[in-house]
Amino acid sequence: MGGAAVTGSDGTVEVDDVQGLVAAGYGHLRAACFVLLRIEAASDGGAAPRAWLGRLGDDVTAANGRPDGQAVNVAFTHHGLLGLGLAPEVAGMFSNEFVGGMTVPHSSRILGDSGESAPERWTWGGSATPQVDLLLMLYASDQAALEVLYRSYEPGLAASGLVELQRLDTVDLGDVEPFNFADGISQPMIEGLSPPGRPADTIKAGEFLLGYPNEYGLYTESPVVADDAGPARLLPGRHDGRGRDLGRNGTYLVFRQLAQDVEGFWAFLDEATRRPDGSSDRDAAVGLAAKIVGRWPGGAPLVLSPEVDDPALAKANDFGYFHEDPDGLRCPLGAHIRRSNPRDSLAPRPGTQASIDVGKRHRIIRRGREQAGSGDGATPGSPPPTTGLHFVCLNANIARQFEFIQATWVSNPKFNGLYEEADPLVGTQPGRTFRIPGTPVRTRVTGLPAFVRVEAGGYFFLPGIKAIRYLAAT
Amino acid sequence: MPHQIAVTVRAAVRPGEVGPLKGALTDMADDGRRANLLPFERLPVHFARFVVLDESTDLQGDRIGPSLMFMADVDVPKDRFLREFAQVAADGLDEVFTHCEDYPTTPTVDERVAYLGARMLTPAAAYVNTIGRSLKDVRREAQLRDAIETFLDSRRWSGRSALDVRDAVVEFVAGEPKLAWALKRPERPSLLWRAKEVVHLIGAAALLLALSPLLVAGFPFWLVALRIHELRDKPGAHVPDRHHVAQLEDLEDRLVQNQFSAIGYVKPGWFRRLTLGGVLWLLELSVRHYFNHGRLAGIRTIHFARWVFLDDNRRLIFLSNYDGSLESYTDDFIDKVAWGLNGAFSNGVGYPRTRWLVLGGAKDELAFKNYLRNAQIPTQIWYSAYGGLTAVNLAENSAVRRGLRGTMSAAQAEQWAARL
Repeated sequence: MGGAAVTGSDGTVEVDDVQGLVAAGYGHLRAACFVLLRIEAASDGGAAPRAWLGRLGDDVTAANGRPDGQAVNVAFTHHGLLGLGLAPEVAGMFSNEFVGGMTVPHSSRILGDSGESAPERWTWGGSATPQVDLLLMLYASDQAALEVLYRSYEPGLAASGLVELQRLDTVDLGDVEPFNFADGISQPMIEGLSPPGRPADTIKAGEFLLGYPNEYGLYTESPVVADDAGPARLLPGRHDGRGRDLGRNGTYLVFRQLAQDVEGFWAFLDEATRRPDGSSDRDAAVGLAAKIVGRWPGGAPLVLSPEVDDPALAKANDFGYFHEDPDGLRCPLGAHIRRSNPRDSLAPRPGTQASIDVGKRHRIIRRGREQAGSGDGATPGSPPPTTGLHFVCLNANIARQFEFIQATWVSNPKFNGLYEEADPLVGTQPGRTFRIPGTPVRTRVTGLPAFVRVEAGGYFFLPGIKAIRYLAAT
Repeated sequence: MPHQIAVTVRAAVRPGEVGPLKGALTDMADDGRRANLLPFERLPVHFARFVVLDESTDLQGDRIGPSLMFMADVDVPKDRFLREFAQVAADGLDEVFTHCEDYPTTPTVDERVAYLGARMLTPAAAYVNTIGRSLKDVRREAQLRDAIETFLDSRRWSGRSALDVRDAVVEFVAGEPKLAWALKRPERPSLLWRAKEVVHLIGAAALLLALSPLLVAGFPFWLVALRIHELRDKPGAHVPDRHHVAQLEDLEDRLVQNQFSAIGYVKPGWFRRLTLGGVLWLLELSVRHYFNHGRLAGIRTIHFARWVFLDDNRRLIFLSNYDGSLESYTDDFIDKVAWGLNGAFSNGVGYPRTRWLVLGGAKDELAFKNYLRNAQIPTQIWYSAYGGLTAVNLAENSAVRRGLRGTMSAAQAEQWAARL
């Protein structure tokens, strides 16, 4: 990813000013933790945390190379920006979704955060928990190095008017997620930042960074600071030359802490696929799981390999749905991967570039890590090594990207003309139906419990590095 | 099977009564009394709403007083609907319209009907997703589908053909007295109504033909005038007030469908009014005779919509009932029918800049979304008779029902079975 020129005017991304997480998930840094911080009310108008932020600014990892040994990134809630002393009229120029937060009733409705997943029950970021202001993201090559990195910050927090609300630990399961499916296969590539990829997955930088043209050829709204305001000179200029752009090279970071009922998932599949004599049918259970996900545990997509988990296709991602499998006979129309990235299957004109182009306006970059559980997963009877996912995604327009994908595709019981079925894998409401198209007619799996529960979450802004210095100097 | 009719009523609100009226409507919607006071459930109503239009100042600085609008999409003639409404919703209507000018203190049914009837407006254009699909059919076709799905679940079908499945389903339906209606030929709108529609189409075509020399000769001049107007336009794409948006969002995403009510001033001058009038006339013609079976120019998520001129054509109000979130609704507009939106709404004040009427405009994503939110107003009371079904669901249910009749080839049976 190095080597990209730092100009910004010719379509390349200003990688020196972009936080590294945008460019890479730091897969080689296998240990990570996320620290949620609150700014003390009596923090001197934010002066102490600003001074802390100024020092942190020197440590923040940029997107201009592969970080060696460790990485540090930082993101802010709207409340956090105000707490640091950012003028409310400037902070108010960020998007509605970010300003309002993830727990406004309307967001809860469209995200499906009700019942067991309601914000009232959340462990942080919810309606009954303290306000989160900052998210400090620490990455290191191993757990010992991570502890050293963490301890380099932890003792200084109190003196800087910051309180650690929670430290969220992660575990590295390699390339699988807790349900034991290969993960992270399909990611969009950022034009001008990522190495060139498949055209359908190569997305304009403006979809993931403010200050760049998006898939409409337009700029997403971004907070503007007048040119003459003192520290504003630290900020990059706006694309049209009118003022300074606080948002440029930054992006919105969506955090969802998801509990995954791994045991319940496999128990349900076992029960649903018993043989007539009542015995378990392991192959049928895995087959049903694959139908639910849309890929085999090993990663092979059902569209390309409907019958077996073909290792040769583990990373296969060059396929569409409309020509290969229009009726979902291979990969059900309601399968998880078909919802979260419908590729060429939606109107207008499914199977054409027009359909793919519409899909490009609804992509996210996923940067999640697995939640650490208390067990090692190896010793029989020990608790599982993980309890779910710290889902993290990046996008420039929360309403059109993350929320749209959730509301219109993933948790929409009417997705793509379906009758009544939310996502079979990550739907948060129990009692769902899953339809598996077949010959001569579909079969239905009914009464799916919720395998995933939202435990916490928030909308953050992951600013550019110059913007961090500006926030520290304001 | 009836055709669908757009009922539109507008009454002036008495001075000082806007607040109490909004309060009365919102309370009724929130505390569950709506179903008792305005029991749309007992009427042949697909969708209904009450919307309060605040006092406004027009582009000349003249005051337009506040008003209350009632809109419904119904299966019976207007007069019959008003009478039934006035009977079953007497208390609710009185509670609402008591805030309006000239509403009698203790009206009789006849007086209520007369009051509403005298305040009826005709939309410039009214879209019906599928003309002739009655509420009765919507409901019973959904029941039919549920029964068939349960029946399919109760048997094993492996090794059978789609034709076998269909035969078994037909046999099952025939054996259920409650479902036997489904095997009869679907009703169509009355012959008289269909004949009138044909006459209307022929008349409109004849009119266009007669005017065509004039239209062709005038087109270049119109085009030049349009371009001049467009270059002089002042788009007003300010970011909408956050509290306004929050108020609108609070009413959204509670059912499978959503409501949209928006109002705006027509740009000043005869040119824009004439253009908008012409565009809406063509729109009405096309939705009445062409876009009347499941799609509005490729969009399958709109159940009903209407465009109504207000205040001597100075203002236009647009109302729709659509599936999914506003974000997906507007993205559909931008991605699929920006030209259509531009054609009508670019004649309104504040719309993003267009080129040649249909280009640009809605393609300016955020400016367009801001424009819509700025023009949108809260719908104080909204009713949907089938809040769990999308327009695509309704079409599929109808297709499942139609597939029970007649003979089918193996391929047709496979296609039919895939709908389930």
